[in-house]
Parts: sequence; structure tokens; C-alpha cells
Amino acid sequence: MVFKNIICPVCGGSCDDIQVELKDGKIDVQNACKMGNAKFQEVVSHHRILKPTIRENGKVKDVSWDEALEMAADILVNSKRPLFFLGSETSCEAQEVGLHMAEYLGGLADSNATICHGPTVMGIQESGMVGATAGQAKNRADMIVYWGVNALESMPRHMSKYGVFPRGYWTKRGRFDRTMVTVDPRVTPTAVASDLHLQLNPNSDYELLSALFTILNGREPHPSVEEITGIPISVMKQTVEMMKESNYVSIYVGLGVSSSYGKHRNIEIALNFVKEMNNYTKCNIGALRGHCNVAGFNQIASYLYGYPFGLDFGKGYPRYNPGEYTTVDVLREKDVDAAFVMSADLVNHIPADSAKYLAEIPMICLDIAPCPSTTAADVVLPGVIDAMECDGTFYRLDNVPVYFEPFTDSPFPETKSNEDTLKQLFAKIKAKKEA
Amino acid sequence: MEALLNTGSTIDEGRLAKGGNKYSEDYKLECAVCWMCAEDYASLGCPDKVAVTSRDGRYTIAVYSKVTESVRSGHVFIPRSIWANVVVEPDTFSTGSPRYKGSPVMVEPTNEEVLSAEEIVLKLYMGGE
Ligand code: SF4
Repeated sequence: MVFKNIICPVCGGSCDDIQVELKDGKIDVQNACKMGNAKFQEVVSHHRILKPTIRENGKVKDVSWDEALEMAADILVNSKRPLFFLGSETSCEAQEVGLHMAEYLGGLADSNATICHGPTVMGIQESGMVGATAGQAKNRADMIVYWGVNALESMPRHMSKYGVFPRGYWTKRGRFDRTMVTVDPRVTPTAVASDLHLQLNPNSDYELLSALFTILNGREPHPSVEEITGIPISVMKQTVEMMKESNYVSIYVGLGVSSSYGKHRNIEIALNFVKEMNNYTKCNIGALRGHCNVAGFNQIASYLYGYPFGLDFGKGYPRYNPGEYTTVDVLREKDVDAAFVMSADLVNHIPADSAKYLAEIPMICLDIAPCPSTTAADVVLPGVIDAMECDGTFYRLDNVPVYFEPFTDSPFPETKSNEDTLKQLFAKIKAKKEA
Repeated sequence: MEALLNTGSTIDEGRLAKGGNKYSEDYKLECAVCWMCAEDYASLGCPDKVAVTSRDGRYTIAVYSKVTESVRSGHVFIPRSIWANVVVEPDTFSTGSPRYKGSPVMVEPTNEEVLSAEEIVLKLYMGGE
């Protein structure tokens, strides 16, 4: 049987047009990019984690689901300050249970945003954002700017589905009706596909944005900005003119802006620049969110507890202070004593000091395939693949919620979904705490 | 050589990571690679492998070298992965996010073995367990 309109659970693009056929232990996937296709193959892959394991005296052994959940509950109940890293490759429903567990145990809750667009979210808190859905941008934008993002390799279908190639209502000729600009210190495939590439020096985004802002305000930037950014002032002026002459400019920012020196201040000035640009033409800005449901965590953590990431429940109520309660920092400062890592390979993606400490403390990991985090974990719980084996909700890159339905079932009789696994774990934790 | 380290996605890094193949040889050959311009490669003596060291000198990782026209002199790129993150600056400037882009590093020729992702976890992070 062929299943149509399946949602891809890999990047923030949440492509909703995937076609899947499961036959004779094989899966045929249409419309997904290389990355998406690779994950769909996990449904039938030979390396899938199918049994819970625990580490005992340095040796890893298979155990029953119940034993694994018991040990996980023991670790979390006996911890003074557990970290819940509620990764993005699962549903909001599972993340919600994780957040409640963190609150119940007085721990910390965080997600991929913290090592991704966390600074972007902080920038938005500073200055607000002129946003738009991806559909708005597709139908209206005749100028696309990819700033600090290699869209072709981090959200491979963004350009073809939302950004550059599709025919929109006001951009009927697709690519021919759009001008594409990339700002990146590297000549990425995205930069090569652009009409204009500003190859700025690393860590000079703030200076370049300030200069563009100055030009937009009709002033001349200080000549030293050419040496600092590596971009001639004449090119900056040309870029601002191109923007002003467009009908609608859509800017997508990536980690190049939020991870470089300057961090959330880079985003803040970009957002202010966009506000100012709206005095001349329509202009919006959005983050190209590489991780699947990373936007979802920000949304539900905000509406449940008031803060988008890096929440600390240590005092019984939610507190937020990036740099103090955020994953990389609490691990680097050895400020937690156990961790629950769900649907994210945290050990792979954080700096050595933090990864080393994470490997040292008791860690429970819920995942679908072997990776550095499962290797370092004390308890491994097999993951169910959202959008393929269970239903739920993701938030797309533009914060639009997308409900997904599965085309097959969870391979485990013990659990229907990651949400289900977390609920079982939470029940055990409550039973132990109240005993 | 002193350099600024940029890390980020490549399509095959994404394909292998999302396909659950982080412990494959292909993943190592895709991600344990330091991209640099021809000028920097020549000034290092055209090595097959380089050791990249974090600014504080506490962590070093051996990776293959690759010549590219996509970065300028003084800048290097390693696909986002455990190899890159060993030397990424852990300081987050009170944002929670480390410096995946623009971390200062030292790059030198080396004959050290390039470890697999699993070996890095076992040897470097778990103390040889
Ligand atoms: S662009 Fe993203 S959501 Fe779309 S198919 Fe590729 S990985 Fe999946």
C-alpha cells in the first residue's frame, strides 16, 4: 500500500508531501531529500535499537522494558538535580511529559534550541520579530536572503519548497521572479546558487549588519568596516538598494548568525534592521531551524512555563537564565548529577568539557540508533519513530503546528510512542517518590 | 597555524547521521575532515592528517585534511560532528550555545590515528572504559 502526505520528521522543514511504500521488509520513499530518506530507512534498518539495555560494572546488557524503566526511575529519583534534555526528533506530546517530569523532580529542562537557535530566541525576546509563515514568504517574497545558513545542506528542500524555486502567487515564474543573496564566510553550495554572495569574515556579522543599518538610515559607515567584514562598502550599498527595490524581502538566519561571536546581539540587530526596512518595503525574518521539532519545544515550554528553553525548576517554579540553566553550561560547570536525554545525540553535539561530564554522570538515553549518547548512557530505551510509527504534533520552522499520522506501528508491544514510554517512566517515578 | 574554526552541516553528514550511521567508516570519512585553502595546506607541508587543538590547549583531535576553495586563508571548516565539537569553545557567552562558528584553534600536521566516533566517546569521554 502507498501512503501519501506523510510528514518527514527530520528537519524543521516538516515536508508534508512524502510518499511511502512498505513492502517485503523494504521501504520506498518518494519526495524526501537525502537526509529525510535516510531516516525513513530506519523503519527497516538492521542497526535499529530494539532492546532496552543497561550498563552494569562497565558491561552493557539487554534487559526487559520494565527493568530498564525501573533503573531509569531510580536514577532520576535519586538525583538531586537531574537534567532533562528533551530533544527535537520527537513530538510535542512527548516533550510535554518530559517537562512535567522535570518540574515534578525539581530538575532542569532543555532542548536542542539551546545548542541551536537559542540565541535567536533570546534576540527575539530583546526586540520582537517581524515574522511570516513559510507560505507567506513563498507567495510574496521576490528577494530571499540566507544569512549564515547553508540551506541546501541543512534544510535541503527549503529552496525548492518555500524559498527560491516554487511558483508563488506574486512570484509566478518561481526562481526567475526572485533574487537570492547569501551571506556566509564559506562558499557553500547555497552561496554558489545565489545571485549575490557576501563572503564576510567569520565573527563579523554584527559589524556588517550595523553597516547595512547605517546605510539604510542614509549615513556612511566607518571605512574600517571593510577590513573587519571583508565586504566593500559599495557592495553593502548595493545590497541595501536591492532590498529597498524589492516588493518583499524574506530573510532566513542560521547558526552562522546566532552561533558566531555576538550571538543574540547579532540577531537583535538583524531584527531591528528588518523593522527599519519595513519603512521602505515589506520585509520579514525567520530562523531556518535545522532540527525537526525544535520549534515545538520552544512553543510548549513557553505556553506551559513561560520560558522557551533552559528552564530550571530547582525552586519549585520555573526560572530562566541562559548561560546558567542551559545544558552546555550546567554540564561544563558540573551543576547537575544525572541526565535524561531523549531523541537527540547530545554527546555528539556539545563541546568536550560538557560531553565528558555527561558521560560521567548517570545518563538515560532514549534513541533509535547507536550513537555517542547511547554508548555513554547507563540506560538505553529504544525510541519509537514519530510520524512513521505514531501520531503527534511538530512545529515547523515558522512555528506552524503540524499534526502527523503514522503509516506503520511501533515495533514494540511495550510502548506505542515516546510519549507513552515517558508516561510509563513518570508513573514509576511518582510511585517511588510517594512510597 | 592559528585558524578560526567554522562547523556546520554537509548533506552527507546529515544523510549518515539521520540514517543512524554515526559509527560507520563513511561517517568518519565525511566528518573527521578539516577543510582548508590550498595556501594554508601548503604552508602546513601538505599533510594527510592534521591535529586541531582547542584555544586553551586542553583538547586535540586528529582529522584528515582536505583542500577546498570554499574557505579563505586562516579559516578552517569541519562538518558538525563529534570531531569538531571536541575543539569547539565551550563558553556560551551567557546564551547556552557554544561557539560552533568562529572558535579559535591551532592546526598542525600530525601522524596520529583518526579515531572513530565510538573511540572518541570511549577513550576521550569515558576514560578508556
Ligand atoms: S527538507 Fe527536511 S523535512 Fe524535508 S524531506 Fe528533507 S529532511 Fe525531511
